[in-house]
Amino acid sequence: MMSIIQIFTAFLAALGFAMLYNVRGIKLLYAAIGGLLSWSVNLLAGYWLHHEAFQFFIAAFSVTIYAEICARINKTPTTTFLPASIIPLVPGGALYYSMQYAVNSMLDEFLSRSLYTASLAIAIAAGILLASSIWKVWLTALNFLESGLKRYK
Amino acid sequence: MFNNQLLSRILDIGEQMLISGAEISRVEDSISRMCIAYQVKRVDVLTITSVIQVSVHLENGEVFTQSRRIRAYATNLNKLDKLNKLSRNICSSLPDLEYIDKELEEINKEQPYSQYAHYLIYALVAGSFTIFFGGNMADGLASAMIGMLLKFLVNAAQKVDKNLLMINIFCSFAVGAVAIFAVQWGFGNNLEKILIGNIMLMIPGLALTTSIRDMISGDTISGLLRFSEAILLATSIALGFGLAEILFGGRLV
Repeated sequence: MMSIIQIFTAFLAALGFAMLYNVRGIKLLYAAIGGLLSWSVNLLAGYWLHHEAFQFFIAAFSVTIYAEICARINKTPTTTFLPASIIPLVPGGALYYSMQYAVNSMLDEFLSRSLYTASLAIAIAAGILLASSIWKVWLTALNFLESGLKRYK
Repeated sequence: MFNNQLLSRILDIGEQMLISGAEISRVEDSISRMCIAYQVKRVDVLTITSVIQVSVHLENGEVFTQSRRIRAYATNLNKLDKLNKLSRNICSSLPDLEYIDKELEEINKEQPYSQYAHYLIYALVAGSFTIFFGGNMADGLASAMIGMLLKFLVNAAQKVDKNLLMINIFCSFAVGAVAIFAVQWGFGNNLEKILIGNIMLMIPGLALTTSIRDMISGDTISGLLRFSEAILLATSIALGFGLAEILFGGRLV
């Protein structure tokens, strides 16, 4: 039940952020579904992995591929969808708690929280980068095949 | 054919792209593509989060250099989309200055959603995240109301002071205080969940992730700049909430 509530609120939060970033029209829906997708993948990955950073990596990877596909369909840059879709994963809470410990001069908690925050941020960034590189390779291969076919005809 | 006026328009496009939320690599790529389309010999672009600098070498030996200082960002992805289309259009059809001016003027009219809509969006995001992190319906409702208050405070603070750090300290302090009182008066149960919903609106979590993305992909300077900016902002927010906690005795952490 908790997961369903989370997935639904992830959808709403991504929708809100897409509007804050001034995404318009039907693209809003794509971005919001991206938010739903990123959290669902994260939860699903959690069933078989018990490593939070790796779960976030997989979720960021999938949602980037999703954003690339949406960008292809709508003929817009990937940036239209990615920032809002990735929002449920973004470690804002963890970042806040690290700083809260720092302000209260609780050094041990601060260090462990910061490392945890950094590991999540790195996992997400790595997921995005790997997905966009793989997508580029795929597009190049596609172009290559198409031009080959044209020459054949 | 290539001259200083044209370079200025190209930089305007790049500047607007960066302000609207384009990645560093996209800005550099678009600027050099547009310059190269006009048959120049060599283009050098340096973009970091606060500056764009371009030098263009022509075949006849002339060199043009211009730069832009970027002071504030306003993420507007719809505008970015249009700028992107314009830059592709320029690359393929090499239009004249009047055309570029007209298009740019049209794009700069692009407005974000209205202020009233923004109040609703703040409420939506804050409420959703409160429930997302495990708050109940009452918490979500309280958080949504405080989210609207946050929007009001951000607007008011921006009129007085442009310094983002001060705005953040002030807003997080006020939001923290109101949330503590709200819970003490029985409006919502979990203070922490109410706060986290509003924190997600203010905290630069996305900037943190983007900064690491920049660093891994080779734009180390931009990455580091954005990273330290994100940490400073996060600290200012924690300071504001911490102050509210000390003064009004809510229990956090």
